[in-house]
Amino acid sequence: METFLQLVVNGVGKGAVFALLALGFVVIFKATEVVNFAHGSLVLVGGYLVVVTRDSLGWVGAAVVGIVSAGLLALLVERLLLSRSKLADANSLALLTIGLDVIITEEIVRRLGVTVPFLGEAWDAQPIQVGGLTLFRTHLVAIGVGAVLVTAFFLAFRYSNWGVAMRAQAENREAAALMGIRSSRVTATAWLVAGLLAGVAVLFIATQDFSGSGLSRGTHSIALAAFPAAILGGLDSTAGAVVGGLVVGLTEALSAQYISFDFSKSAVFLVMLVVLVVRPSGLFGTRESTRV
Amino acid sequence: MTRSPSRTTAAVTLAAALALSACSTKAGGSGSSGSDAAGVKSGIGVTDAEITLGVMTDKTGVFKNLGLGITQGNELWAKDFNAEGGVCGRKVKLETVDHGYKADTAKTLYPQIEPKVLGFVQLLGSPVVAALKQNVLSDKVVVTPASWSSELLDNPYVMIVGTTYDVEMIDGLSYLQEQGMVADGDKVGHIYIDGEYGKNGLRGSKHYAEQHKLEVKEVKVTSTDTDLTNIVTGLKGEGVKAILLTTSPTQTGSVAAANKALGLNVPLMGNNPVFDPALLSSPAAAALDKLYLVASGVPFSADIPKAKDVAAKYKAAYKEPANIGVPYGYAVGAVWGSVLKKACENKDLTREGIAKALTETDSASTDNLIADLDFSKPGAPPTRKVYVAQIDAAAEGGLKYVKPLFQAPDADKYQAPHQK
Amino acid sequence: METTTPAPVATPPARRSTARPIRAAAWIALVVLLAALPLYIDTAWLKAGQYMMIGAVGAIGLTLLTGQAGQLSLAHAFFLLVGATGYTVLSGPTDDDRVIGLGLDPGLALIGAVVISALVGLAFAPVAGRLRGIYLGVASLSLVFLGLYFGQSLDALTGGTSTGRTPATFELFGFPFSNGGPEIELMGVPIRAAERIWYLFLILTAIAFLLARGAVRGRVGRSWRAVRDNEAAATAMGVGVARAKAGAFAVSSAFAGLAGVMTVLWFDILKPDESEYGTYGINVSIAFLAMVIIGGLGSVPGAVVGALIVHGLPQALTLFSGDLGWFSETGGGGLTPILVSSFIYGAAIVVVVLFEPGGLAAIGRRLTGLFRARPREITREETS
Repeated sequence: METFLQLVVNGVGKGAVFALLALGFVVIFKATEVVNFAHGSLVLVGGYLVVVTRDSLGWVGAAVVGIVSAGLLALLVERLLLSRSKLADANSLALLTIGLDVIITEEIVRRLGVTVPFLGEAWDAQPIQVGGLTLFRTHLVAIGVGAVLVTAFFLAFRYSNWGVAMRAQAENREAAALMGIRSSRVTATAWLVAGLLAGVAVLFIATQDFSGSGLSRGTHSIALAAFPAAILGGLDSTAGAVVGGLVVGLTEALSAQYISFDFSKSAVFLVMLVVLVVRPSGLFGTRESTRV
Repeated sequence: MTRSPSRTTAAVTLAAALALSACSTKAGGSGSSGSDAAGVKSGIGVTDAEITLGVMTDKTGVFKNLGLGITQGNELWAKDFNAEGGVCGRKVKLETVDHGYKADTAKTLYPQIEPKVLGFVQLLGSPVVAALKQNVLSDKVVVTPASWSSELLDNPYVMIVGTTYDVEMIDGLSYLQEQGMVADGDKVGHIYIDGEYGKNGLRGSKHYAEQHKLEVKEVKVTSTDTDLTNIVTGLKGEGVKAILLTTSPTQTGSVAAANKALGLNVPLMGNNPVFDPALLSSPAAAALDKLYLVASGVPFSADIPKAKDVAAKYKAAYKEPANIGVPYGYAVGAVWGSVLKKACENKDLTREGIAKALTETDSASTDNLIADLDFSKPGAPPTRKVYVAQIDAAAEGGLKYVKPLFQAPDADKYQAPHQK
Repeated sequence: METTTPAPVATPPARRSTARPIRAAAWIALVVLLAALPLYIDTAWLKAGQYMMIGAVGAIGLTLLTGQAGQLSLAHAFFLLVGATGYTVLSGPTDDDRVIGLGLDPGLALIGAVVISALVGLAFAPVAGRLRGIYLGVASLSLVFLGLYFGQSLDALTGGTSTGRTPATFELFGFPFSNGGPEIELMGVPIRAAERIWYLFLILTAIAFLLARGAVRGRVGRSWRAVRDNEAAATAMGVGVARAKAGAFAVSSAFAGLAGVMTVLWFDILKPDESEYGTYGINVSIAFLAMVIIGGLGSVPGAVVGALIVHGLPQALTLFSGDLGWFSETGGGGLTPILVSSFIYGAAIVVVVLFEPGGLAAIGRRLTGLFRARPREITREETS
């Protein structure tokens, strides 16, 4: 029982970070129907800038620089590349982000060279013991930050002009444009926000508690693990991202123990596959109606 | 295309065919084997003045640290060896290529480098070694893989410099038992990377477990897994008395950190590659005090005359931070030196001559960088001796010895998979 | 996938009577050139060329599925593994107690492996049929992870990650594609393993190419495109949507399976991957997708050219750098042939999507049009 509870604790802690990553996919998809395959490279860029500026700015300053740069990079990608390709549809743009992802990832990995730097943390990394259970502080902070960001996003989406505009655009792009909604601003903001989220997520990922590894190609693979989270929750659902993140974290932890560790990666994808067969647009996703 | 080609088509085709087949540069004899004035037979990779040895390494992929260290060790040896006069009146030259730890690249590069070299002092990467196995067999070329799996010993052209992973594990477990950290009938966990490296380590621990009624909880991981907290959580639930590791350094860090964080606090014992000095600057550094390391080679900073000599020469020649690859690369060179000298005595510097000289080499010395090696028994590990080290942040290279070279009785009796 | 290439205006075939022979002559010249290459180039370059042909066969399959039938798939690497394992098991010796072998004739084993791959593809088709676009792409990724798991755990089939297993030498009517068998010389050049495999691969690639072109130009291709463009309309026209989709998945898997057989023959070993990056990993799926995007989605010749770039560049640059001493930096941030090729193919994807969604195929058509300085019919099936 203690083992089971500890696994749940491990899974929820990691799930919070997966949810942050999944939210990054969701924001962009909602605004543009593009799936951003370059999310993992945004994560890497954010982390890399933390590593580079940490010595001169301290952890907090570096974290801000990292988050902002990931956001700005995402914005640049949208402004300089995506917004200029009027010809291409959402699926082609998704393919474009694959190309982008290859370039950015290879460059950051090249720059890291032989080092695998941990980002460090501003909080005490000593775990907290509660009864027989161990709570990792990085997980706790991630859960807290995740909860705040998800709530903020949820509220912004519901009540802010941007959120309303985005929903309108997601509903019907042409009608939204006719109503005077500036599609380009909504889209650009979505990319900026997704980039910021990637920058936040990496602060938790490249730590001993979360991934056990510093910034490396592996950090990028973890962002890939958030893909099933976003998909099984439903690519256009905030709640879906949160649920998807938790499902992935828990599936990984529990299948590692009760089936086998080497099966746990496949288990995540299998759970996603089952969900998709039953609900082709994910748990909370909007069903696509067939156009005739 | 299905229609009958017109006259133009025919003409173009004919012209193309003629132009292409006029003369082929590839035609003609290949290889110049013969004997020199002293009656020494030579063949591929050997001229009257030079012996070329190949290095297929990873300078750019995931094992670039190790690859660079070994290559620099190889180079230091070649320099020393030539300064001492070389062998058979010939100097040694290294031909190095980088495959970036990619088997497909290695497969293409091999035919480019193979015709130039007598043998390979370095073949790094288990996917690469596997992909080139058939080539090595058909070219009859002696290679030293940077791998210590006894599974490779079914290939008579493979020279393993050091103790194999399975034997390391047996020696290590007997050390833990001798120190009272494990007793007959205990339960231990073994986390291993699925592949040539991990499977071979597991073979050793299973063998020891059979002899001593240990229960081994096996956990298979892939080389890219980095967070093993869930595994340690499970092993804690099982009540293991020790955790054995045949993993990557990153994974070692994760296990050590979780071992401490979850309050399990059992001894960890791992094969040579589980530790990298870089771990000492990671957040897991404080949790490494329970880690024991079993290795047949000495670390860079070892307190052994030859190791100090190599370290000094290294610092004079290179600027990168050193790792265990440097003394190992040097030791491999030293073994090749012995084999080349034996082949020279036999007056046969052909590939067949090298393969024969290898089987006649029964006590290659590396001045204690590695225990003396015996290659005369096909399929058997060339040595079964190991050092046991513990992590010590104060020591350069991060290791201190807790037991000098020894060989456990269980390791002595162990039958390696391809041992005859 | 719906790439919105502006539909080219079809003009009546202008003076095809002279264009045909030139085209045919060009094709024949190309075939003669490829057939003569082993007489001139070294084994290392032959190996590189064979690797490009593996890429071409796989990419042709993917371009049918993703370009013609509009189903985004990242599972291609998995079907490579199925084909590779299929061949090795079917042709493997029956008396090995470590691994299973059925001792079939290698030629039959090759066909069997392709059929098995197609069937496995067909088995996934019901799932694929329910999903669209990106959802399908990510769902198909799960096959790669399953492949990783099964490759490792079914060592009686795959030989396991520790040692892998050696595939049977390919033979056709008793003639081995290795250094053994009868000694053959062509104009003074001994025709040994590397040369023989080159010819084998060349024939396999040609067959794959012709079959794919036939499919694209025929009834099957029309039904795929109809389903891709509008499922409802396709149904109205009497095309069985589920059947067309499943068919495309099976055909594409068969091509990937063949590429898998070629992969084990090229490596001389079947060795399942140790992690999700490897010979049958996600990196390979993405590389195949890159080939078909760069080549132009749906274009068969484009897929071949895409393969030359994505599979050929790293190999060619590595070989050149060995000869010329390029990229000799070591340590931290050195540029390497593999890195440079990644940059190039990443950039090529971006540029293609931004400026020429039709890919190299569209550029090629435009160039030949320019060359002839007269409007030429652009075959509908190649573009969209």
